[in-house]
Amino acid sequence: MAAKVQHYDPPSSASSESDDYEQCLENRGIFLSDEQIEEHIRDMGTPTPSSVSSRPSSTGLQKSPYMRRERTTSCSQSNKKTAAESILQSKTRTIYTAGRPPWYDSTGQQVEPFIIGICGGSASGKTTVATKIIESLDVPWVTLLSMDSFYKVLNEKQHEMAAQNEYNFDHPDAFDFQLLKSTLQRLKEGRKVEVPIYNFVTHSRETRTKMMYGANVIIFEGILTFYNAEILKMCDMKVFVDTDADVRLARRLKRDISQRGRDLEGVLKQYSTMVKPAFYYYIAPSMVHADIIVPRGGENAVAIELIVQHVHTQLQLRGFKLREKLAHLYIGQPLPNSLYLLPDTPQIKGLHTFIRNKNTHRDEFIFYSKRLIRLVIEYALSLLPFKEITIETPQGFLYKGKRSATDKICGVSILRAGETMEQAVRDVCKDIRIGKILIQTNLQTGEPELYYLRLPKDIKDYRVILMDVTVATGAASMMAIRVLLDHDVIEDNIMLVSLLMAESGVHSIAYAFPNLKIVTSALDPEINEKFYVLPGIGNFGDRYFGTEPSSISD
Amino acid sequence: MGSVDTAVKKYSENGCIELMNDNNEEEYGQNLKILPTNDQVNELQTILRDKTTTRSDFKFYADRLIRLVIEESLNQLPFTKCVITTPTGAKYKGLKYQKGNCGVSIVRSGEAMEQGLRDCCRSIRIGKILVESNVDTHEAKVVYAKFPDDIAERKVLLMYPIMSTGNTVIKAIAVLKEHNVSEENIILSNLFCTPFAAKTLVNAFPKMKILTSEIHSVAPNHFGQKYFGCTERGVTKKLIVD
Repeated sequence: MAAKVQHYDPPSSASSESDDYEQCLENRGIFLSDEQIEEHIRDMGTPTPSSVSSRPSSTGLQKSPYMRRERTTSCSQSNKKTAAESILQSKTRTIYTAGRPPWYDSTGQQVEPFIIGICGGSASGKTTVATKIIESLDVPWVTLLSMDSFYKVLNEKQHEMAAQNEYNFDHPDAFDFQLLKSTLQRLKEGRKVEVPIYNFVTHSRETRTKMMYGANVIIFEGILTFYNAEILKMCDMKVFVDTDADVRLARRLKRDISQRGRDLEGVLKQYSTMVKPAFYYYIAPSMVHADIIVPRGGENAVAIELIVQHVHTQLQLRGFKLREKLAHLYIGQPLPNSLYLLPDTPQIKGLHTFIRNKNTHRDEFIFYSKRLIRLVIEYALSLLPFKEITIETPQGFLYKGKRSATDKICGVSILRAGETMEQAVRDVCKDIRIGKILIQTNLQTGEPELYYLRLPKDIKDYRVILMDVTVATGAASMMAIRVLLDHDVIEDNIMLVSLLMAESGVHSIAYAFPNLKIVTSALDPEINEKFYVLPGIGNFGDRYFGTEPSSISD
Repeated sequence: MGSVDTAVKKYSENGCIELMNDNNEEEYGQNLKILPTNDQVNELQTILRDKTTTRSDFKFYADRLIRLVIEESLNQLPFTKCVITTPTGAKYKGLKYQKGNCGVSIVRSGEAMEQGLRDCCRSIRIGKILVESNVDTHEAKVVYAKFPDDIAERKVLLMYPIMSTGNTVIKAIAVLKEHNVSEENIILSNLFCTPFAAKTLVNAFPKMKILTSEIHSVAPNHFGQKYFGCTERGVTKKLIVD
């Protein structure tokens, strides 16, 4: 992918997408709280906001269906804003709208994200601390996972108990630690997870799930974060928010009475029979596991500053400088076996001559690049597995032939230039599904960032033709391949198809993903300092779509 | 670049690329070329031969095979070397095709290949020849021919998908020769050919280049009928023979 430099504005309408399995990354970069989920549901036009409401204050009783609990009583202005826009504004910058930066190293291996576990009693201000940490971190991609999503599905009897105010939501048994563990594990591996959406009215999981990704930093918060030893081990940093019991009770009272119309007696009873014992039995003892104890919750600026400094140091140790690293690896090595170069025919050379010539008009450029793309795609398809069959002909004899051994083929194009190859794929495969991945180069860092993703739901069963017109360093392609692998596509089933590749890009990709097939119509020896292939085609996308800077265009 | 060779070589060991079958060269001479066969091409041929293939699929896959044959036929055209400048300012050693080509399709099934040619060469001139065969005697007769005026100076890409006896094509080439097209300027693009037709044509026109995708003793004679979806005038019971 040419190192195209441009600003990208995420489409604002994306939040109203209702298709569950289609994802829009700029929208889901962070998952703050239930309020946010609710905002989403409202955006989607679900009529009853109560269908998914926030975590109950330990019981399901006396809950006004139209009353939403604020996640914490210490909700600051910026906190509310977060919930409303799923974008965090901190003074001068917007944090979550940027694309997802690389989450793997130059050999394509996952770099483990930094996981911060935040624990603390009910209404201690965990979410405030989490938000403040994110605000100060200045990391473009952060995932916030709340333990609330992992409440167990209640059976009928338990459901009744909950209605009778007798089900203990503060007890460890109320949580599905198994699911929590596997989810966190997958996030740690950088894979895609589907986080359940818990419905506090029916006490069951919604059929919909929330799509989440591992990020550079994952913050995991909840009242029993440190309870399970295995989960505890996964946390790179453990923070305990220690707010005075009086303050916590005061917050609960204020919230439950003023916002939910509950009576003082009921709240106190519930507090003394469930919330308080649970705190002293399970939550307070887990404080010993904490690396840092934050007194007074979100107001404690010094503690948050310390946490942020530590995380920064850790992230720098795992630093990402992919593109530059990729450009200078593997010079002068033999080409990998996984590279399939189109036979060097006069036609292909002639087509390359047309599209590489800077004086070629767009009209001709499009026409000849389409022809070349078609040849590349036809060639790529011939690399798929085939099986022998015998068929009957109208002439009455049997013919031994071949049929494709797989009918599950899908295309995935890397926007923008990869899109130009879609038509050719459609022309050769009837009714083929086509996914899209948008990767843009960050202006400041020169690194690729993932912005947008649409893939078939069951993509893991497919053979994927990944389309990118030019591959220079291979940074964007590697990100796309990583995304596919994160969706459980088998590496052997991926084929990267392009018109032109630089040798170094081929090396990087083949080294990182040895089982992947790389198909191209030409191989160029060099990359210049702007990461363009030499002699190359120039910026293919700009030339094809006619968006080159006006000084060059004719 | 030695390493590139490795990639291609490895590929041919897998049996996917058989650039030229030596037997073919011995049998039919070097002017008859077979489209580099791979599983993909073989699948297309299988679909076209399968009697259970629907018309819509038939046309779709026929067009794909035609495109591949046309692209390969264009490889037979002459070219010259040239050097161009790319947008990055670097030089690229490429090649350039000569002007002065044209296509000629033999009506009717040859017309199925016109679109494939158009898709590769947008404004190429295309002439037509209509040859009618007597159903009983298989004797071919030229009914209509229309060519560009200067066809004698051009390279001619003659298109006809199915050859079982080669009679139709022989007639068509005779017409081209009458228009002063020299034999070495003709490239015949064909999908399916019988050994008989191949031998006949190679013997009759040794200087002509022939490109086909398969030589097989039985030609899929239903091609024109299935591609266009109707039988030829007056011939309803018998399949059309070229």
